Amino acid sequence: MVGNRAARRIVVIVLMLAAALWVVPIVWMVSMALQPNDLLARTTSNVAWGLIPWPFTLDNLGFVLSSGLTPRWFLNSAIVALGMTSLVLVLSSMAGYAFARIPFPGRRLLYPLVLAGLVIPEQAIFIPLYTMFAEWGWHNGYFALIAPRLAVPIGVFLMTQFFRGIPDYIEEAATLDGAGRWTVFTRIMLPLSIPALSTLAILTFLYAWNDYLWPLVSASRPEMFTITLGLASLQTNFAQSEGLGRVMASGVLASLPVVLLFLLFQRQVVRGIAMGSGK
Amino acid sequence: MRRPHVLSILLALLLAAAPAFAQETTITLGRFFGACDTPGVSIADAVGEPCIIQAIVDAFDAADNGVRVETLPTDWGNYYDQIKASYAAGNAPSVHVMHSSAIPEFASLGALADLSEHLAAAGIDTSDWEATARDAVTYDGRVYGVPMDAHANLWHVNLELMAAAGLVDDDGAPILPSSPEEMLEHAAMVRDATGASYLAADFAEFPIGVRLVMALAWQQGAELFGDGVSNVNSPEAVRAVETIVALFDGGFADPRLNYADSQQAFLDGESAILVNGTWVVDFYGAQAANTNVALTDYYAADFPTLFDTPATWASNHLWAIPVTTQRDPEKFDAALELLAWINDQNLAWSRTGHLSVRTSVLESDAYAALPHRDEYAGTIEIARDVQPVVRYDAVQDVLNRELQAIWLTGKPIAQALADADAQVQDLLD
Repeated sequence: MVGNRAARRIVVIVLMLAAALWVVPIVWMVSMALQPNDLLARTTSNVAWGLIPWPFTLDNLGFVLSSGLTPRWFLNSAIVALGMTSLVLVLSSMAGYAFARIPFPGRRLLYPLVLAGLVIPEQAIFIPLYTMFAEWGWHNGYFALIAPRLAVPIGVFLMTQFFRGIPDYIEEAATLDGAGRWTVFTRIMLPLSIPALSTLAILTFLYAWNDYLWPLVSASRPEMFTITLGLASLQTNFAQSEGLGRVMASGVLASLPVVLLFLLFQRQVVRGIAMGSGK
Repeated sequence: MRRPHVLSILLALLLAAAPAFAQETTITLGRFFGACDTPGVSIADAVGEPCIIQAIVDAFDAADNGVRVETLPTDWGNYYDQIKASYAAGNAPSVHVMHSSAIPEFASLGALADLSEHLAAAGIDTSDWEATARDAVTYDGRVYGVPMDAHANLWHVNLELMAAAGLVDDDGAPILPSSPEEMLEHAAMVRDATGASYLAADFAEFPIGVRLVMALAWQQGAELFGDGVSNVNSPEAVRAVETIVALFDGGFADPRLNYADSQQAFLDGESAILVNGTWVVDFYGAQAANTNVALTDYYAADFPTLFDTPATWASNHLWAIPVTTQRDPEKFDAALELLAWINDQNLAWSRTGHLSVRTSVLESDAYAALPHRDEYAGTIEIARDVQPVVRYDAVQDVLNRELQAIWLTGKPIAQALADADAQVQDLLD
């Protein structure tokens, strides 16, 4: 018993050290966001390796927040991330249900084709996608920021696997009670798949919120920038040396919604990932 | 009866005002340089690249000229990705900033408007442009842009450290080396007298090292590439690289420093010299005036001549107009008008530390009165840009990678330059 307790303490200490190591860069980022730029140009380890923000200033956060379009960029990111998340959930769950439960002709061929999308790198379709959207005049709009990410093979795969794991008798019982396919899907299967949907929603939201490359080329007008793009556009040419505090303030502000998302839904995140890994 | 009368008056007023509204032409302007932290500041009061350029554009926008300018800012690191994408989509900005090294790529694709026959009519006197700036915006004999500045590598000097080593002359100017051997002697003197390293630069990330090697090759009369031929594995290139590596071998410079590290070393008084561009002159001047900063006595010196011919790496910021803008005569005229305005504000832009590209400005008392300008007045004479190469960015990446392999991983100089030579030749073919 004593040996077990000691071993457990050692494990806890190791985990605490690992957690502390993980937290240090975040604390450093926050600390630098709260220090003056002219100081950071000279040293990034002024007090306690730079982890304590002294001298203290709110100028960097104020600059980022007061730059004309920052609220608009947050709104754009929210619209894009929420829009993309909602549509991915709808499309992936419907496709997943069809692949898992509906024996339509060509299913055995179509499903591997969808999964083949997993091995096609995003960059490979970037240029044709871009020129296609340009020809249709879609750039600099919300639809252009959302649409390319709606076909998510990993989402279809996740939902298909999840639906396959739900016992057949549940669906059969509902059918015997007179429920149609749509009713079974919306009233029975979707509520049962909330853990998988949560996982997919969180992964999609994070991806959409952090995305940079596609918005960079698709949105050239400042009013259509997402927050990642907008904050980058505020940086001076050598921001890493002369405007480091602002760079870090941008990082702090841009990551806040994601951190909040995790804090609010961490139980679902952990449960969803654990469930997904077990499938 | 009264209502129709009022409506008639309103209608007449609207009709009278209509031409004024109709005359306003909106153009878009693409640029990097970042966001101004004091928006609305006047040109005279603006400080730093973002605010000075924004103030210049805002002043034009506010003038009664019938032109409205919409700025499309992008971060510097991804600027060319976005601008090329906008060209591909057919929605390039009406006018945009770029570097002279990018002119061959854009002009060879037919993406830029040929301004040769339009500048004089717009009120831009090209004969006032400094010769290297005129060359910088010229490709195949045609003019594709309006130069805004020349930015070149300088030797930023901590005079206090140099004085301690006995390397300051009677006029208060630093004594800089005139040969690689003398550079090592000076480096030893600085270390012995102060313990500081002699020279710092971003050798690990930003291509300052490439620009150093190119300058030292030019000083020996050699080009590393040009006219479709790579000359990277030449005796002059080897000598240039050896000159830099000798500093590392002697412990007089640290190849692991990146841009921020090297700047910190200079400001903290840990290095006597910093090789960096003109764009930081005003920033270092302001830092030296700060009592909390170890650097107290700052001098911006011309890049020294270590071999036979004076030369330093330089490039230009310039404004170009996409050929798509030219298809709309109103926008094209408005864009030219804006370029003429920016050309007129060359002195204001020079406050950033960049060199003016207009002879009339360079020779003016107002320019000479700018901080430190007299110290590096000779730089405009020795500034050299790279040979026009369509795939210059890729060439620079190859050189940076192989040079960093030499001083960061110990790759033999001969092997690295041979590898670089083959890759650069591939890019030129």
